Amino acid sequence: MNKTVNINLAGIFFHIDEDAYLKLQRYLEAIKRSFTDSQGRSEIIADIEARIAELFSERVQNDKQVIRISEVDEVISIMGQPEDYLVDDEIFEDEPQTAYRSKSATSRKLFRDTDNSYVGGVSSGLAHYFGIDAVWIRLAWILLIFGAGTGILLYILLWVLVPEAKTTAEKLMMTGEPVNISNIEKKIKDGFDSVTETVGDVAKNVSDSVSNAAKKIDVNKSANSIKSSSRTFFDTLGDVIMFFFKVFAKFIGVLLIIIGAATLISLIIGLFSIGVANVIQIPGLDFVELANAGNTPIWLVSLFALFAVGIPFFFLFYLGLKILINNLKSIGSVAKFSLLGLWLISVIALIVFGVRQASEHAFEESYTEKTELPITATDTLLVKMKGHDNFNADSYHQDRFKLAYNDNGDKVLYSSDVDIIVKSTTDSVAKIAIRKRADGSDYEKAIARAKNINYDFDFKNKTLLLNSYLTTHPDNKFSDQEVDVILYLPESSVVYFNNSTRHSLHYNTYDGNIVSRDDTNHYLKIGYEEALCLDCPEEGLKVKVKTPRLKIDDKGIEINAKDGKLKIDESGIKAESDDVKFNIDSDGVEIIESEE
Amino acid sequence: MKIENTKAQMRKGVLEFCILSVLKDEDAYVAEILDTLKDAKLLVVEGTIYPLLTRLKNAGLLNYRWEESTSGPPRKYYGLTETGKLFLKELNTTWSELHNAVTIVTSQKNTKK
Repeated sequence: MNKTVNINLAGIFFHIDEDAYLKLQRYLEAIKRSFTDSQGRSEIIADIEARIAELFSERVQNDKQVIRISEVDEVISIMGQPEDYLVDDEIFEDEPQTAYRSKSATSRKLFRDTDNSYVGGVSSGLAHYFGIDAVWIRLAWILLIFGAGTGILLYILLWVLVPEAKTTAEKLMMTGEPVNISNIEKKIKDGFDSVTETVGDVAKNVSDSVSNAAKKIDVNKSANSIKSSSRTFFDTLGDVIMFFFKVFAKFIGVLLIIIGAATLISLIIGLFSIGVANVIQIPGLDFVELANAGNTPIWLVSLFALFAVGIPFFFLFYLGLKILINNLKSIGSVAKFSLLGLWLISVIALIVFGVRQASEHAFEESYTEKTELPITATDTLLVKMKGHDNFNADSYHQDRFKLAYNDNGDKVLYSSDVDIIVKSTTDSVAKIAIRKRADGSDYEKAIARAKNINYDFDFKNKTLLLNSYLTTHPDNKFSDQEVDVILYLPESSVVYFNNSTRHSLHYNTYDGNIVSRDDTNHYLKIGYEEALCLDCPEEGLKVKVKTPRLKIDDKGIEINAKDGKLKIDESGIKAESDDVKFNIDSDGVEIIESEE
Repeated sequence: MKIENTKAQMRKGVLEFCILSVLKDEDAYVAEILDTLKDAKLLVVEGTIYPLLTRLKNAGLLNYRWEESTSGPPRKYYGLTETGKLFLKELNTTWSELHNAVTIVTSQKNTKK
């Protein structure tokens, strides 16, 4: 028993068995695919249908008779296989491109092969695409997974973005086989297909792919005309250029993918570890918290930073994929716009955070304590600096903030931003002023932070022992805390700066600071607005003159007069005028008269 | 290179010329053209003719009219246009030249052997 279908073929009514109907339908679809619209496809198909109807009519004696598969087979053998309908390009060169079959046959598309999958079918899909065994791809994945988990992320992205090969037509496209009736039938016979797939779907997909191919032909008309017209040198050259252009585009695509993926991965790893570490308080990572004077939650900043930087790179990655894979699944406009929105929000949020952070430094205030030192005009003061074993024992001056523990074992914020300024004074007794400075979002905060700076010094036996560091409570955060030690020394007193003070002294003397780095390890006598070195080696006469005509320095004397030159240096005397040259050196005396 | 392909190409090359020749004297519908060509063993399967007919028609060499049929769907009767007749004339000349040329070339080969 067989189910029958009623069909209308070229205006004639036929009863036909269902299996025969399906076969006929596939046959007609395959033929349809053999032609393009420009060849008059619909007309040709109508003619063929009319002929088939005629052939059926000859085989049907009365209206009740049903067309069985044997009749269909017979008619197909008369009409010929789809290949027989093809018009050869070589014979009909003026035909506008009929050879898309061979083209689509060689170009593969990337799909996920879920029939041969372990996880998502990405590997076997890639294997089909590149025409290699899936084992190699899987091996590459494993290597990539060991390479900092790059593989996992990439795999997930490909899993999401690459479409699955669901239909037979897609499966054929995946393996690069031409989508035609015989291949589809072969696949079905091989049991490749899922059972649920109906033949109607196949036919639909075939026609879809045909129309897609037809669309492509329109776009590529100019490129394709190269193939159909006679080949000239320039056509070949054009082909070569196109080929290199394509290779270049693929290369760019690969580059984009690598850049995008690498950035995304490093961003995620980096910011995730900072964010998480901050939440669960991993020791050693709290410097981030200390820099954060605005008190914004770090994980929030990390998240926004991830979006602000990551989203553009995601699009870069996506673009790269799109260049490589032309049938890439779109992420959809909703996703695109929400990503764009998220990006904008993140950027704005980061700007707000930045402004907040910056506003913490809006006010810089200082707080000064003055103490008298029992040093008079006849005394000699020795100035030394000492570091802290826990912070930096060598008292090296570096403007770095650091978290450390003080003697009581409390956590403190430490900085070595301590400067020494020396001034002369007419008072009889020396004075030391400790000026503490800090930033804050307003005056009160800045002052409070300045006052919270701990700084000590010691004065014993005419020796001033200064700390080379300052400390403050971590709650005060990094807000450019610094300490200036200002020494007011009476005139004609003598001061000696030990080498340990070198890094806290200024590079140069200037108005109001009379001691520089170069003056360490010397006895300095304080004068009015100056410090005279008492034990510096005599440097002798130091003359330095430099004018356009006259130059006197360590090397010698050089005079460039209007009519001649005179040069006296270690090697001898050289005099020169327009007419005469005169040399005295180790070789003797030489007079050269120029020949005119 | 397959012999089948060469054969098919040779046949397809002269097919247009033959179709026009069949319609030289009187109009015919597809089945009649097919019968003639099949009898001459120029065609193995019928499918080949349809794209060719459409091509010739689109090129303005053929035109057609519809005629009712008692046994099946209406039939397309093809006939030569004026251009088609001129085209056929030219093809005839070319064919006789070609025929001559091929005869000469092939017979020369035979004599050499």
